[in-house]
Amino acid sequence: MALKESEAIVLRTYPLREADLLVTLFTRLEGKVRGVARSAKKSKRRFGGALEPLTYVRAFYEDRERQELARLDSCEVLESPLAAEVSYPRAVALSHVAELLDELLPDREPNDAVFRLVISVLAGLRGSDLWMPVTYFDLWMTRLMGYLPELSECNVCGRALNGSRAFFHALADGLMCAEDKRLASSEMSSESRKLAARMFLAPVEGFAGTPWPKAQGADLRKFLIQALQRHIEKKLVTAVMLERISS
Amino acid sequence: MSRFAEPMARLIEELKKLPGIGSKTAQRLAFHILRSNDDDAEALAAAVRDVKASLRLCSVCNNITDVDPCAYCASATRNQRLVCVVEEPTNIASIEKTKHFNGVYHVLHGLISPLHGIGPEQLRIANLARRVEAGQLDEVIIATNPTVEGEATATYLSGQLRRPGLKVTRIAMGIPVGSDIEYADEITMLKAMEGRREL
Ligand SMILES: [Zn+2]
Ligand SMILES: [Zn+2]
Repeated sequence: MALKESEAIVLRTYPLREADLLVTLFTRLEGKVRGVARSAKKSKRRFGGALEPLTYVRAFYEDRERQELARLDSCEVLESPLAAEVSYPRAVALSHVAELLDELLPDREPNDAVFRLVISVLAGLRGSDLWMPVTYFDLWMTRLMGYLPELSECNVCGRALNGSRAFFHALADGLMCAEDKRLASSEMSSESRKLAARMFLAPVEGFAGTPWPKAQGADLRKFLIQALQRHIEKKLVTAVMLERISS
Repeated sequence: MSRFAEPMARLIEELKKLPGIGSKTAQRLAFHILRSNDDDAEALAAAVRDVKASLRLCSVCNNITDVDPCAYCASATRNQRLVCVVEEPTNIASIEKTKHFNGVYHVLHGLISPLHGIGPEQLRIANLARRVEAGQLDEVIIATNPTVEGEATATYLSGQLRRPGLKVTRIAMGIPVGSDIEYADEITMLKAMEGRREL
């Protein structure tokens, strides 16, 4: 079969047999593709640092007859996360992007909007800024996957929430007004709702350069993670890790 | 229903749990043990039992040892003020092979790995931090792998350990000896340039 060529983001690798690696790629051409990199574990010569998570690569792979896994022929590094300093918070943020893509994207379904989002967010994660790109990514990823409810009205009674308090709950979709909120709900500030509205109108670069403490948009991120977790029906490992980062 | 007698099936099952051992190899090994004489089989069983009973982690450096502190930490000829931090006990052998390192070690038994839920609090670094705190060290060399996980761990450690009078260093990364820079990928070349030294 013919060798395919595509830009791709490396999501995860797992050891397979003695010397091989099972690699999950998010390719621009075909979406999420899983393939085997022969001898990648034993001999780093062929792939070098190209299979590190969140490396932006040009991947060459081919499908094999009656086999679900592709054969990964080679990868050319276009941009490595190792080019900038890997602090612990940055490593968690990068892993968060990888986990969301791996959990949310269906196999072999191209999604150019998500691909462009990842490329721009990875660029944003090159610096020490962490909470802005993570918030932007969580928001857009939730929307592009079709899991984002309307943020301007109560999901129960339909009343407009603009200017009034809004609440959310881990087990319920959408936002709720003060009358319809469930017991033990969290509140989403109107600043965070305005922030989300602004993030839908501007690229990630538009938010760079201004200080962004962890508290900013924390309620929005919590709301988004809860929505995503309801849809995939499992906990996101890196969401807890992000929560534990102190600043 | 297994096609082997129960004790044989059990031995094969146990052998299969070893890394790199598949069904075929496990069967071959099991039949080899069955055919070997009683003394050899007993010696193998005893060696497996003893390794679990007598080996433990060195209280100073976390290396696997049968005496505490381990041979490196107890050595009078090694520089006890120079510590090389590695991910696994097996990494020590690679560094010892050079015959050019005369310091001691600290074994982390893992790296920071956010995708697996492993953060800094799960790393074994308390005894290393105590050595630093007590002013017992001049230099800590961080020799974790040049991967995202290895780098995140190194960066975290250097931030935690930094004290006046203590040097924290990272092993160099770059072009493998005897290879050709023409075949180095972009990131390896970048690291090699960053880690250049004056001649
Ligand atoms: Zn309502
Ligand atoms: Zn020791």
